[in-house]
Amino acid sequence: MTTTETSTLVTRAGERRQRRSPARGVRGRSPFRGGWYVVLFLGPLLLFYGVYFLYSFGILGMVSTERVGLTFRNAVDVGMQNFVLVLEDPTFQRSLINTIVFGLFSVLVALTLGFILAMMLASGVRMRRLFYTVFLLPSLIPMSLFATVFSRMLETRDGAINDGLRNLGLGFLAQDWLGDPTAAYVAIGILLTYTIGLPIMYYTTDVAQVNASIVESATLDGASVWQIYRIMLFPLLRTTHITVILSVILGSFRAFDIIYFSTGGQPGGRTDITGTYIYKATLGLDRVGYAAAASIIVLIIALIISVVQIIVRRKAS
Amino acid sequence: MARMKTQHAADEEALPLRSRRIDKILIYGFLVIIGLAFAAPLINAVQMSVAVGGIGNYWAVLTRTLNGVSIPQTFLNSAIIALMHAGLVCVIGALAAYAFSFIPFRGREPLYYGVLLFLAVPATSILVPVYFISGTLGLFNTHIGVALPEAVLTLPFAVLLLRNRMDDIPRQLVEAAILDRASHIGVFWHVAVPLCRGPLFNLAALSVMWSLQDFLFPSVLLRSPALTTAAQAVQTIRSAFGPTPAESSQYYAALVLLGVPALVIILFAFKYVTSGLSAGGVKE
Repeated sequence: MTTTETSTLVTRAGERRQRRSPARGVRGRSPFRGGWYVVLFLGPLLLFYGVYFLYSFGILGMVSTERVGLTFRNAVDVGMQNFVLVLEDPTFQRSLINTIVFGLFSVLVALTLGFILAMMLASGVRMRRLFYTVFLLPSLIPMSLFATVFSRMLETRDGAINDGLRNLGLGFLAQDWLGDPTAAYVAIGILLTYTIGLPIMYYTTDVAQVNASIVESATLDGASVWQIYRIMLFPLLRTTHITVILSVILGSFRAFDIIYFSTGGQPGGRTDITGTYIYKATLGLDRVGYAAAASIIVLIIALIISVVQIIVRRKAS
Repeated sequence: MARMKTQHAADEEALPLRSRRIDKILIYGFLVIIGLAFAAPLINAVQMSVAVGGIGNYWAVLTRTLNGVSIPQTFLNSAIIALMHAGLVCVIGALAAYAFSFIPFRGREPLYYGVLLFLAVPATSILVPVYFISGTLGLFNTHIGVALPEAVLTLPFAVLLLRNRMDDIPRQLVEAAILDRASHIGVFWHVAVPLCRGPLFNLAALSVMWSLQDFLFPSVLLRSPALTTAAQAVQTIRSAFGPTPAESSQYYAALVLLGVPALVIILFAFKYVTSGLSAGGVKE
């Protein structure tokens, strides 16, 4: 790379700067101004985005106005009909509500159980690493696997959960977990509770940054552990709560595997979320135009949440 | 560099709390109960896998083909895709993060936030186009065909993580490199990459883990049993087992085995995975 080569490639701003301090300053001689380097370094990323996001959205837009299967042949133009059908479908409405309800439930669990577990782990307990690993494990192993094992435990006749309840003399609590809508919701709630590993991790990371001396002085003033958790640490970790809330809500739009491998949306689509709804419309029903319309609606919601997140992030930093 | 400190948060000293005996008992009691509840499904799976037929079940499912799927082969397939995914994410992510951190150009910040906007895209919402694109480019039944859409969903996170780290690199180092007449390629390779080794390891560990978790893209794009991944096999092998207790035990043995690759990564790279996740602060 010679200076003459690069100097022709610098941006206009760079040229102006060069003229002002002719070939003397560091910047004047260096190739450190934009130019084709941007293309070189950003090119691969933009190519990926171009194909799998922008081109994808184009395809979604096109397909969403058609009645077509997975072969993408013999498409029939139906205009906006798919959007109308999707928005009017009670199962889609329910899947959207479920996604949000499950997300809010996860947020609630993360802010309570997740918070308290992380605080306890930070309070000088023995075997802390073991506990920490155990709490994180269900969130890190493939969900297809975890949810499958969990749903086998829910089997009505011989599943571990009903067996356990009967052995404890609580047989009346035994449920048709995957057949009854209410029980299925409870089952999903338990399963979602298993995935609070990430919030625990965020809290653990951030509580380590808390100034030890303020905790110490509160202890000397006679504050109990619980008071310190509740009155001092909970408000102190405000930015962590925001990280937790945003990441959990984003995660709820990606909870496809959790639902697909536990209830599968049963009974009758009552526990479907947007992910399983789109998956079934695409691969189960082969209604691809319809699935594309649903995808666009979900994408718009996800992007709105993303914008909120970016704004919150910028404010925080 | 505050971020360096957060990397080993789990090992740092505990809060200087002086808890009463009763509080200690309550804390331990709660942790043990929740810990057991969290471990229960895993323990249950292992128990069931040896309930009928004993430890031999593992050998049986390892040597058998299940609906045309062999479990050792799924490990290999998962590993190939995970490594491709990690490679793509680290290389493309590092290049882009460098541009956003070191090369001033017009519209840089808007473009950066534009890139981050896609942090939240759910995999299912690009299922239809990925299907179409994979058909057009002949990517069905190829490992790379799965790694590519996985990578595009991980890249926003990679750019976020690596740019944050690169912004922490003192600019004097770069000024020195400029005096040496190093080009951007030189600075990238000799300054940025070595100083980002930690985050790159974290990112690679996370990428491997996320790829091992992925069920969606393999299940849609890989139809040949010889290409099935471990996460995908959870579903494909299900019907290979009959309803007898012995077969049911073998199914559990297969499930436990399919979890082994992810478990190995998690346990050996636990520190990389957790510090990468907490530095990124988003994505599940």
